[in-house]
Amino acid sequence: MYRNYFIIALRNIRRNLSYAFLNVFGLTLGIASCLVIFLIVRNELNYDSFGHKADRTYRVTLHAIDYNSNVSTAIVPTMRVDFPELEQVTQVFYQHEGLIKVGQSIYKEKNYAFADKYLPSVFDYQWIVGDPKTALAEPNTIVLTETMAKKYFGQQNAMGQVINLEKQYNLKVTGVIKDIPGNTSLPFNFLVSLETIRKDLSNFFWSIPGGSYAFIVLPQNLAVSRIESKIPAFIKKNWGADIAKAAKLPLQPLKDIHFDQRYINNIVTPTSKETYWVLAGVALLIIVTACINFINLATAQAIKRAKEVGVRKVLGANREQLIGQFLGETTVLVLLAVFMGVVIAAIFLTQADKWLDIKIGAEQLGEGGVIAWIVVLTVVVILLSGLYPAFVQSAFQPVESLKSKAGISLKGLTLRKSLVVAQFAISQILIVGTIIVAHQMDYFKNKDLGFNKDAIISVGIPDQAKRDVLQQQLTADPGVKDISFSSGAPAYNNSFTSLSAKELGLTKDDVTEVKFIDERYTDMFGLKMLAGNKITKDTLHHVVVNETLMHKLGIRNPQAAIGKKVTLNGNYDAYITGIVQDFQSESKHKQRRACVLMYNPKIFFTASIRIQPAAMHQTIDHIGKIWSAQFHDNVFEYEFLDEHIASLYKQEQKAYTAFGLFSSIAILIGCLGLYGLIAFAASQRTKEVGIRKVLGAPIMSIVGLFTKEFVWLILIAFFIAAPIGYFMMDKWLQNFAYHVNIGATTFLIAIAASFIIALITILQQVIKAALANPVKSLRSE
Amino acid sequence: MIKITDLEKFYRTEEVETIALNKLTIDVKKGEFVAIMGPSGCGKSTLLNILGMLDDPDGGSYVFNGVEVAHFNERKRADLRKHNIGFVFQSFNLIDELTVFENVELPLIYTGVPSSERVKRVEEVLDKMQIMHRRNHYPQQLSGGQQQRVAIARAVVNKPKLILADEPTGNLDSSNGNDVMELLTDLNEHGTTIIMVTHSEHDARYSHRIIRLLDGQTVMENIMI
Repeated sequence: MYRNYFIIALRNIRRNLSYAFLNVFGLTLGIASCLVIFLIVRNELNYDSFGHKADRTYRVTLHAIDYNSNVSTAIVPTMRVDFPELEQVTQVFYQHEGLIKVGQSIYKEKNYAFADKYLPSVFDYQWIVGDPKTALAEPNTIVLTETMAKKYFGQQNAMGQVINLEKQYNLKVTGVIKDIPGNTSLPFNFLVSLETIRKDLSNFFWSIPGGSYAFIVLPQNLAVSRIESKIPAFIKKNWGADIAKAAKLPLQPLKDIHFDQRYINNIVTPTSKETYWVLAGVALLIIVTACINFINLATAQAIKRAKEVGVRKVLGANREQLIGQFLGETTVLVLLAVFMGVVIAAIFLTQADKWLDIKIGAEQLGEGGVIAWIVVLTVVVILLSGLYPAFVQSAFQPVESLKSKAGISLKGLTLRKSLVVAQFAISQILIVGTIIVAHQMDYFKNKDLGFNKDAIISVGIPDQAKRDVLQQQLTADPGVKDISFSSGAPAYNNSFTSLSAKELGLTKDDVTEVKFIDERYTDMFGLKMLAGNKITKDTLHHVVVNETLMHKLGIRNPQAAIGKKVTLNGNYDAYITGIVQDFQSESKHKQRRACVLMYNPKIFFTASIRIQPAAMHQTIDHIGKIWSAQFHDNVFEYEFLDEHIASLYKQEQKAYTAFGLFSSIAILIGCLGLYGLIAFAASQRTKEVGIRKVLGAPIMSIVGLFTKEFVWLILIAFFIAAPIGYFMMDKWLQNFAYHVNIGATTFLIAIAASFIIALITILQQVIKAALANPVKSLRSE
Repeated sequence: MIKITDLEKFYRTEEVETIALNKLTIDVKKGEFVAIMGPSGCGKSTLLNILGMLDDPDGGSYVFNGVEVAHFNERKRADLRKHNIGFVFQSFNLIDELTVFENVELPLIYTGVPSSERVKRVEEVLDKMQIMHRRNHYPQQLSGGQQQRVAIARAVVNKPKLILADEPTGNLDSSNGNDVMELLTDLNEHGTTIIMVTHSEHDARYSHRIIRLLDGQTVMENIMI
């Protein structure tokens, strides 16, 4: 019997190739998308879960004024003594880039860390060679990841080789580990033993170098609250009551790091779990859309199968057998789609790193958990798309279905229309979502920045003594329009200080961003002065403050702030000589901070260079040559300011790309179904169209006949989609301190897009039906 | 074998009620060959559908092989039908996606006959109907006469006690029509009861008895000599 079902399923596919193609293609896209989204969501939600101690591992953080993931380098050694009950305490000093020299080759490497010998026992790295217990115990040792070992030494044995770091340390390779998974909050290419720099580490509580992290591992069955409750006493004992009052050391679960957006100074920008749940929701919508297609096309086609059902019933088939048969046919189509979906997903994953900035190997598709998920998905899709059509078709009465083709009325029309409405609503929600995310992305990168970001590159200055020569040489290049030295361009915030203003009643030290800038900075970046003067040379005790700081000082009128005294870093008095309009110095996720601008040429680590738009590449090449001639032991690197700003929204960009891509797929799948449905409707109404034409109906009225129904369906869908879309996206926008407002235009675009997409989809079929020769269509009846 | 008494069937729409069978009473004995004739709309097909348990009556009694079946549910009717009744239609009603062999095999699948037995029985009946050489063809590849032979083969493969034929020659030329009637006569002579609806006096002459219907009632019965 099953053989018979299988045979008839294959023959039916062959006979109705276009129908099968629409179904299988839609399902294939749906299943491939679902698989990719599943892997993305799994990857993100399982961040930092790869170690077997992950559930017991916590990051020791600092909460003084802000939530800071960096802590003093003094914390770990002291904790190790004061908390003997902890299974492990480990210290990491993370560096975003470093200069490596192997033989005569120089490399500028990103992401490495100084780590103590305990780190390998906290995280389960896979060691290829070396002893995890001792590899980082001695000074001047280095553990490489496999990729780095191959890069530096090819097929040679890396163990025992010497690598120079930052022209300062000669490090012996004591281990090679497999590349670490992409979903870690502590990504690195190599580890250098912390002992190498031990003498440089401070014991001062408030000395918090960027990149200083501390991790602890709790023993089994010890509640974290037991440790937390002892921390205030621990701070007091080691650093005094004042510090114990001002600072807390929250213990942050390792697995929460990727989703906790309160913290600054994370290595990997945290993201919201919501984003990935929404993405999972998109996957659900995609698969529902594909199943709706299946149901719609199958029930519409059912009329063609009525005679067969009648004959089978006459010959003794019962309803269960017929349901089994139709489900069997669905199974064949779904299995075909699953097979192709897996292949497409595998191909896509090889490119996902490039498109979505997510490292997921295609080999993950072969993992047990993923295979189990594919099986579940397959069964759900078979039941979701097969059950209803199977019930409809098996319910045909033999007497009616054997009478004639026209004798059977097609049931489930209301359901089919409801499903089409659901599909339109899904498309519209996705269109609304994509438009709003696009607006927000544009707003992030281009709107309300408070400074001019165009055609500016940032270049590091490794040696301040050569700055003037560099400036002279660069200014001589006609491709260079302007140049300014500072601690960083407006969108880089890396220096903070404490600020108080006793005369204005601000006695408590408040954290304030500080930017050290030269006299060209204000003009070059187009910062807007609201009162007073710009920063000029040699104005050591003069500062310009931003509006937010002015408001913090309780001053409303910029003019009134001029001449007021503020104290920086607890002991440095300075006078406000100007007020600058707020500018965006970090991402729009957070409220703008108070900011102080001042002149200090010792800290001009960055040159910001505005380039003439014409011949940009040649100019950058030339700048590179001049720069390398001055700093020949270094590697020239530059970053466009607008690219840096975009990098602040990496997670959102990733989500935006994913939403855009998967929304398009969902809409395409919906279009496939609509196309199939209208093709079927056109063929069903051939006779009606023929009669109408014979009676003199113009082509446009025939086109109207088919399209007016869809107009209503789209309108109904819109009234469902608009509030859902608004609610969802409004919630998403609340993640950001600064965001766009959702306007009526978004919804108008969504409904217009729906109409256009539907019209393009159905037009060819409708026109074909309207232009058909009525003589033929009537004769065929 | 069949005894229907005061059988009624109505078709209702919102405004009109049509009486298809009006207190019809008929007896058919085992081994009989009965032809049912009458103008269009007289209730012939309705009667055949009820006799074939494809439809249920609105009133009256239908006793099949000594069992009252008028109020059987669909499952029971289907069960009784697949073991006892074979159908031959005017428009053959073969499944286009199945080959000749597979079409004929279908009733055996639904009655749970094992695969090896099915092959034997299908080949036997195809041989008897002289269409063995067409066993792997699809219905569209056959002539009308050949298609009806396949349909008859399918109707008899389960060795039913009763064959219901609804204008079996209606779509055939006279030569093919005669062949079909010869086949049915042969089956009848080997013990199968046959009830045939027909418009053709010529075909009706193959039967033992003609029942003539008008407006859902018997108006005349002719015994063929």
